[in-house]
Amino acid sequence: MKKIYLTSLMLGAALLMSAPAHAYDSTGCGIGSMAWRGQRGIGPQVLAVSTNGTFSQTIGITFGLSGCDPEGRITGGTQKMVLAFLENNMEQFAMDAAAGNGETIDTIAGLMNVDKSVLGAKTQQNFGVIFANADVDAVDVTLKLFEVVKA
Amino acid sequence: MTSLSPEWLAVGHYQPVWPGGYKSTIDSREFFLAPGGKTDPQAELDATIALFQSNDYQNQCRFPARYQLLKKNGLTAAPFPECPELEKLYRDLQPAGITLLFTDAYMSNPSSLFGHTLIRIDTARKGTQLLAHGVNYGAYTGEDENPLFFAVLGVTGGYYGGFTLKPYYDIINTYNNIENRDIWEFELDFTPEEQSFLVAHLWEIGRVQSRYFFFSRNCSYMLMEALDAVRPSLKLARQFRYQTIPLDTLKAVYDRPGLVKKVNYRPSRQTKINHRFKLMTPVQREEFLKIIRREKANPEQLELQEQADVWETAYQLVQYDYVAGKLELPEYRQRSFEALLGRNRVKAAGKFAEEETGKSPLETHEAKRLVLGTGFRNGEAFQELALRPAYHSLTDDNYGYLRGAEINFLNAAVRYYDRSDKTVLQKIELAGVRSLAPVNEIFSPVSFQILTDISREMNPKTQEEGYVFNFTIGAGSTWALSENIWAYFMTNTKMSYGGFLPRDQYAGVSGAVGLFADFERVRVLTEAEKVWATARFGEKIRWKAEAAVTLSRNNALAFNYLYEQNRGKNLNESMLSWRTYFN
Repeated sequence: MKKIYLTSLMLGAALLMSAPAHAYDSTGCGIGSMAWRGQRGIGPQVLAVSTNGTFSQTIGITFGLSGCDPEGRITGGTQKMVLAFLENNMEQFAMDAAAGNGETIDTIAGLMNVDKSVLGAKTQQNFGVIFANADVDAVDVTLKLFEVVKA
Repeated sequence: MTSLSPEWLAVGHYQPVWPGGYKSTIDSREFFLAPGGKTDPQAELDATIALFQSNDYQNQCRFPARYQLLKKNGLTAAPFPECPELEKLYRDLQPAGITLLFTDAYMSNPSSLFGHTLIRIDTARKGTQLLAHGVNYGAYTGEDENPLFFAVLGVTGGYYGGFTLKPYYDIINTYNNIENRDIWEFELDFTPEEQSFLVAHLWEIGRVQSRYFFFSRNCSYMLMEALDAVRPSLKLARQFRYQTIPLDTLKAVYDRPGLVKKVNYRPSRQTKINHRFKLMTPVQREEFLKIIRREKANPEQLELQEQADVWETAYQLVQYDYVAGKLELPEYRQRSFEALLGRNRVKAAGKFAEEETGKSPLETHEAKRLVLGTGFRNGEAFQELALRPAYHSLTDDNYGYLRGAEINFLNAAVRYYDRSDKTVLQKIELAGVRSLAPVNEIFSPVSFQILTDISREMNPKTQEEGYVFNFTIGAGSTWALSENIWAYFMTNTKMSYGGFLPRDQYAGVSGAVGLFADFERVRVLTEAEKVWATARFGEKIRWKAEAAVTLSRNNALAFNYLYEQNRGKNLNESMLSWRTYFN
């Protein structure tokens, strides 16, 4: 009888504990780093919660220092805006660039004030330039993207 | 405008209270200029008028929406001061529209089965709405608290709620891509003045806090009060005084004539992958599976458009696996890159229409359910009346709900037994959550259940009846035998407490296997369970079957069957019932 108490207690505890703390990993600024910074891993939380920031604090696209650009290699308002966007949308942008169209292409075309179909065609043709390897980061991609668009 | 005008009451979040008078939903003291402002709309109005006669520009900057009301009604002649932070907010947002967002249930998160709503402030920026901002109301909790803590404090008002503002791309990432929840966008027909007023009002309430109650004063409720503040004639909040289900708030908004001008659907990553996998030809599917299993694939044999679809779907699956923690970063990057290069080699667009239209949350059954039934328990006839305030059972019509997800709250059944001529409370299901999510070639989620109820049970030895509090928690797996038929198993642990039980309580473990069939209009759930317990009372084998047939969106016919073997004493119960859903 004690065994059943113990088993049910342990099973219950295990089930409760299996709902989990998230893994916070720092993965740089390349593909797979930005969208879920600190949010990777699907664990059941019992309540939908938001833990950070208030209305006045987390506003807008940050035009200041980028988390991916501590050395300040990106200059100029538009470039900073594109970098801020790319830091958070690299995965989708990578696929849209490879395919030559998509929502992130439309958005960046808007930020850079260029035609979206032209931008799409250029990113598709120059995909290998913009994404030279699997480990490129958002700063590389931003700089290459501006080179490609200018060319 | 007087202090009892709807616009002033709405902007102060005042709600009528019993036996008379008003009280604001907002709890922060800073929100009120008058000492008793929380319960005194008149004092608050006077204090606001006085504020705009003073030189207290700092505080004036905190109340741009109240200022607009005073100005419009001739209660102030003063100009609004310069407020750099507020002006920056308008510059960042560039408001061009207001959209109500609804995100549907999230498999791994029981609380999310209710769905969630946010407000999006659409932007005039060129490009897309990715640069718009979403307004979210949620509870502020500690970082790493125990989930059980979350549940208890969340339901009892132990947390404070507040607003956060995030770019829409963040919201898409969170809901579509990380939690795999579909998003519905309801564009509201607000004038530019109303859009601007909403931003001003959000600025006022953006820094304040209010007690958060999971079932009533929750994410969706505060948004209703915010929309009322913009257009008091909507009278949305008053519909949700006791219980606020996000889906219901969506329906309420949709019911206001002319308020919703357009509905868009943004499927989750998982929905997209599943949908695309279904659309694939057998050869396409084979190549797709080879790619994701890292076997030697030969996608070049496919048409160009088909290749594009295969690579795009494979890429999405790699993203999914990484988020789910199934891939380490180096491998993830490698595989993403391969899919990107594969896609880039194909100079053609994919063929799949981007997505299916989805099942509109507006066409789902209502959440409140009344059941009228008649049946037999061990040969004795009974009549049953059951009422459930919320929300959805497995055998309710799953249209627009997440199939296999169940959340029942305060489901109470009263019975009249003919022979013994007595009326008893048969059962209250306090809270019950079940999630059956099938494992397939691509996804392997865990199925689980947490059930708490107070049931009237009989001790077979003494024939005595009494109430027992039962708590069950379990986990297992589900497999889809076909599109419509799922099989599952669960291992559970149970704790029961009741004054009439021998030694007052017992604990148990159980194993259960079941079948869940959903043919849309007809649903059947059957389960066999064996319980080992510390008390003889709890040792049983239980067979359950439940079937329901949809008659109309809000009506169904159901049949329940239960057979329990307990040490040679059996319980045999069947019931035929009519279920009606209402709001």
